[in-house]
Amino acid sequence: MSLLKVDELDVFYGDFHAVRGVSLKVDEAQTVAIIGANGAGKSTLLQAITGLNMQKRGAVTFDGKDIGRMRADLIARNGVTMVPEGRRLFGSLSVEDNLLVGGSSGRKGPWTLEAVYRLFPRLGELRKMQSSTLSGGQQQMVALGRALMTNPRLLLCDEISLGLAPKIIGDIYRCFDAIRESGVSIVIIEQNVAQACNASQHVYCLLEGRISLEGDPRKLAMDDITAAYFGTEQHA
Amino acid sequence: MIWLETIANGILLGGLYALIGLGLGFAFGVMRVVNVAQGDFIVAAAFIGLYLYPWTPLHPILVIVPVALIAFGIGILLQRVLINRVLGHDQIPQILLTFGLAIVLRNGMVSWFGANSQSINVGNMRFWGFDFLGMRLGVLPVLVLVIAIMLFAALRFWLNTSRMGRIIRATADDHQVVQLLGVNYRNVYAIAMGIALALSAVAGVLLAMRGSFTPYSGADRLLIAFEVVVIGGLGSFWGMFIGGIVLGVTQLVALKLDPAGGLMYGHIVFFIILILSPKGLSSILTIKAFRK
Repeated sequence: MSLLKVDELDVFYGDFHAVRGVSLKVDEAQTVAIIGANGAGKSTLLQAITGLNMQKRGAVTFDGKDIGRMRADLIARNGVTMVPEGRRLFGSLSVEDNLLVGGSSGRKGPWTLEAVYRLFPRLGELRKMQSSTLSGGQQQMVALGRALMTNPRLLLCDEISLGLAPKIIGDIYRCFDAIRESGVSIVIIEQNVAQACNASQHVYCLLEGRISLEGDPRKLAMDDITAAYFGTEQHA
Repeated sequence: MIWLETIANGILLGGLYALIGLGLGFAFGVMRVVNVAQGDFIVAAAFIGLYLYPWTPLHPILVIVPVALIAFGIGILLQRVLINRVLGHDQIPQILLTFGLAIVLRNGMVSWFGANSQSINVGNMRFWGFDFLGMRLGVLPVLVLVIAIMLFAALRFWLNTSRMGRIIRATADDHQVVQLLGVNYRNVYAIAMGIALALSAVAGVLLAMRGSFTPYSGADRLLIAFEVVVIGGLGSFWGMFIGGIVLGVTQLVALKLDPAGGLMYGHIVFFIILILSPKGLSSILTIKAFRK
């Protein structure tokens, strides 16, 4: 059975019909990538799954439970969390306090302060620093660690490589193996198609709110992905 | 010497003013909610204190404890039942709601308690005094200042070190993201409003012990609260405290110079600071700190 199942989901962003009839599923310990151009509806889709956006219709099922109308904090307590776009750390709090707020969800599991510091040793050195003073890459590690501290079963990552140096992006993506080994399923949103295809077992391409292509990234042809991404004709 | 004594008394009064501002500033800092009814809640707390203090054991001044607890409960109820319903990007509904609440409260108090001037009687303590560096200071005003400093310090300490304090600070930074971590921000807001009203209630009762109040005093109290918060700089903790002191000292010094119009000078100082440094005194201090 799939861990997350989204069925015919429509989501509105204000008056804008951003997501149109999207269905997708994520299996246990699987990494799924959602790619698409700016404004394709990727972020809105994740906001709807996490309950931050309530202007939606359609079904969202997590671990057999209907979470479509559930409040965001309860969805998080059920084991779905997100690393939001732009990191959105609690800027006035220290690194450690940011992580500890993540730990206040009350879910038990392998992710503790020690485990996060083992994954990102640099954060252990910076634990007393105010989080807004960190570099972009360090902030992204805090955001990822904060989300892990909730001991999620499903981790949604919204554009975590945006604005970071290639080396840092590599460092962060290498950590995904350790996260997956702890039994966490991951959904990543990326504009960087190659990155997304490398890191995932299944990829969905969104175009103007609809899924234009899906499949195993190793079996999809680059031309098809490009066509689905930009919405150009496949057989010109 | 008489001037030194006036300034000292201004500082003592300023501590109380700071406490009046603290509730408003805290609620705004955490929730971005401007509670226009704050002044009338302060007066309502004074009335609760007026009816409870004869039953308070040991000493009448301890009536601040039950009144603070009652105000905490009212704050939670207020946030849950009313203010949480109008939260959003637009702040106008909150202001209209609390403004309406202020009118209902004020007129309710007039019809229940009458418009007479009242005061909470702390007995002989009102007349006790002591000599300090050649100045004659009242015991009650000093005690009030000590309570104010303790409440400021205790709140700061609790916010910095406790689990709930951490969640409140995080919610103040980003109330959407805390939900992704399993925090119901509406509950956090309710607790924050409870704390804000409890602090205001203590200020209201202490004010009623030092002076008198009527059901119409709310507007004056609210004005003081706003001035304290703005002089100090929005969201700045000890800035608010300094704001209260500035206001208290100005008022008493001006009253000495011009007994007829003394109260006005506090507002003038507020106005000047607002023009010179719209972000409050704390922003001036921060700039200095950076230059060092």
